[in-house]
Amino acid sequence: MILELKDIQLSFTNARKERFHLLSGVNLGVQEGEITALIGGNGAGKTTLFNIISGFQKDYTGQVLFKNTDLSKLAPFQISRCGIGRLFQGKQLMGSLTILENMLMASSDRTGEFPFSYLVYPRFLKAKESEKTELAVHILETLFGKGCKYVDMLHHPASELSYGEQRMIAIARLLMGENELLLLDEPTAGVNPVYNQTIARIISEMARDKNLTILMIEHNMHFVREVASKCAFLDEGKIAVYGETNAVIDNPAVRSSYLGL
Amino acid sequence: MQFIINGLITGLLYSLLAIGFALVYNTTKVFHIAAAGIYVFAAYMFWWLSGYMPLCLAGGISLLLSMGLNYSIDLLVYQPLKRKKASNNIALVSSIGVMTIIVNLLALFFGNEPKSVSSTFNAVYDVGLFSLSQPQLIQVGCSLVLIIGFIVFFLRSQTGLKIKAISEDELLFAGLGYNSRRIRAFAFLLGGFFIAAASCLNVVEVGMDVNMGMNVLITAIVAMIIGGTGKIEACVLGGLTLGLIQSLVLIHFSTSWQNAITFILLLAFLFIRPQGLAGYKQRTV
Amino acid sequence: MEYILHIAFMLNIYIMLVLSTNVTVMANLLTLCQAAFYGIGAYIGTLFLMQFELPIIIIALCVMGLSGLCSIIITLASVKLKGDYFILATLGFQMVVYTILYNWIDVTNGPFGISGIPALKLLGIWELQGVYAYFAVSLIAVLLMVALFAGLKLSPYGRALRSLRSDEQSLQALGRDVSFLKGSAFFISAAFAGLAGMLYASYASYIDPTSFTLLESLFIVSALFIGGTGNIAGPILGALFVVILPEVLRFIGMPESIAAPLRQIIYGLALVLVMYFRPQGLGGKEIIK
Repeated sequence: MILELKDIQLSFTNARKERFHLLSGVNLGVQEGEITALIGGNGAGKTTLFNIISGFQKDYTGQVLFKNTDLSKLAPFQISRCGIGRLFQGKQLMGSLTILENMLMASSDRTGEFPFSYLVYPRFLKAKESEKTELAVHILETLFGKGCKYVDMLHHPASELSYGEQRMIAIARLLMGENELLLLDEPTAGVNPVYNQTIARIISEMARDKNLTILMIEHNMHFVREVASKCAFLDEGKIAVYGETNAVIDNPAVRSSYLGL
Repeated sequence: MQFIINGLITGLLYSLLAIGFALVYNTTKVFHIAAAGIYVFAAYMFWWLSGYMPLCLAGGISLLLSMGLNYSIDLLVYQPLKRKKASNNIALVSSIGVMTIIVNLLALFFGNEPKSVSSTFNAVYDVGLFSLSQPQLIQVGCSLVLIIGFIVFFLRSQTGLKIKAISEDELLFAGLGYNSRRIRAFAFLLGGFFIAAASCLNVVEVGMDVNMGMNVLITAIVAMIIGGTGKIEACVLGGLTLGLIQSLVLIHFSTSWQNAITFILLLAFLFIRPQGLAGYKQRTV
Repeated sequence: MEYILHIAFMLNIYIMLVLSTNVTVMANLLTLCQAAFYGIGAYIGTLFLMQFELPIIIIALCVMGLSGLCSIIITLASVKLKGDYFILATLGFQMVVYTILYNWIDVTNGPFGISGIPALKLLGIWELQGVYAYFAVSLIAVLLMVALFAGLKLSPYGRALRSLRSDEQSLQALGRDVSFLKGSAFFISAAFAGLAGMLYASYASYIDPTSFTLLESLFIVSALFIGGTGNIAGPILGALFVVILPEVLRFIGMPESIAAPLRQIIYGLALVLVMYFRPQGLGGKEIIK
């Protein structure tokens, strides 16, 4: 088990001062090297669960164990440094930065990010920077093919790319860090069918070649069947069904309450 | 006791200004610093006109002029910026510019030195435990009428509901087929009215100078935040609380510490209870 | 000549102030309290100059360090508060600092100000005399600052700061410590504003709280936005504009009672027009979000 969620509970107080239990005891184990899909209706708490894992949502009860370390006391950036990368729902690249800068910002090597450190070791810094740039180009070329347009556009602002393209680069840049687990929040939302296939391909490749573990939220069931090996159905604050992807999606309870079939 | 009464009266005036600011802030999300300019403008118009006509009439005209000015700021500055899809920070910086322009135009025409409205009423009434001066009586009367009228209007009318809706999501509001421009104009006009009312009511009691706006405005914004942003009625709660605390502070410290106290209170609120007195914690996705 | 050098010295001071503001604006953190740090630097500098006989470098470093430490409050606010609330908190900080400078009579002599501030001593021996020496020192400070900040912007740290403007949450999820980034940016910004304050105090040999008001902060921000944000040329252009304009008005023989409000009106108008037609400023590169 690379990631273990133990009895995660979270509740809010709403406008009428009523307690509202969003998560009431989520238990989930994610195996190393596997792609697990997390499905569930709107408002079931999938993104909140991601926020809990990556540290943006605190005040919950229960345990989040990543490689047997408890994450509950760590800040989001510390959790990321443990080797957990995340793709946000709806959020894209940093529009005012270039594509290359976006890739470099995702690197786990933070040399030179201390103010004025460029005065201390200018040579070393330069070497590190070109090393990172090479890695960025290498990643883009392996995922999108040699001579792909993103390599030519390295120094263009990321805002010049379309939504779907930004989405793909946002996934690709997660390879810059030394991540072991990726949390992908709706990788295909708002992306057209052609890019959908590319995303499915790069996710599978990333998991296979880099031995990455992936946990993703997804509403597109074709995509889930194609990519994920395991599937967890979140309903009424608990993991209601967990198992092989096809078994879960064909489960009558899932079909009736989530897919509406 | 006298301190409490004075504090509550100041609080009422803060509430008026806070309502004026919140009307604009909630509907347009523009941090309307130029409201400080409107505040000074109203006071100066009031002072200038009162030399030629009775106070009531001068006040009324000053209110109308301020409403017009507030609306024209929106028309000339904020709306063009909005059409260019400029960010809120840009609107804020422009607003600083507008405030500078208004305040210094007034200084150019009327001079820099402090002024006061020569009032004929200065009788003081003793009411048992405390005393009220005539200007204070006017302040309480007018502001209570305005505030109660506003709250009733805001909670009962369609327009009030529309303002609430537009403050949630302007795009959606316009998309549903409502005229967001009309609501915007309404918010600026009514906002200007409340800002000017606070200003005129304040200057019947104390003097004025061109640089007074910023201080008062910031206090009013603090009142808005203490009350709870997003709820226009809550401004009154915030204004009264702030007025009361400020005047109680006066018992122990001199006036010059007031600003510091206001802001320490603000910081405390922002850190401990950012949703304000009347707000509640919401689920964030 | 002395008059021109005086203007040039004040120009250098404003370049320092505007450049230092730009550090945080680069990260999309708009602050309205730069005059507070300017004042803190001036008063701390005065304290050091009057109490200790130290070389200029040491005093400068102490002043910068202490001014920088005062920025921790702003950092806390920026971590906790978003958007307009943060800007309001910086306004609050500005007001509180002013109130303290005004009321803490024992240390600051309140509204009466402190006079007779001793001159800076180069290496502890040569006292800086006259406007020539001060102009030279301020010029060195500005050149140093320009060089440092140009490098800073190009360094990975600058890249991290610029990425803050887009999206904090993603940055955290990429393993960057946002609080540290903000804190260090505010520290640098406050430290250099403080340095400007110290230079000014020792040059003027008299300071009082009225030089460090909210209006002064708004003035600095106006200069920055007229000139432009996100690079080095913009802030310098902005400082030039706001320092030279009053001299031009005086040159054409306008009486002060008209010139004072008139130049404010021109600043205001320039700000509004620039924000509309060229939101990145006259010489700037990036648009604030």
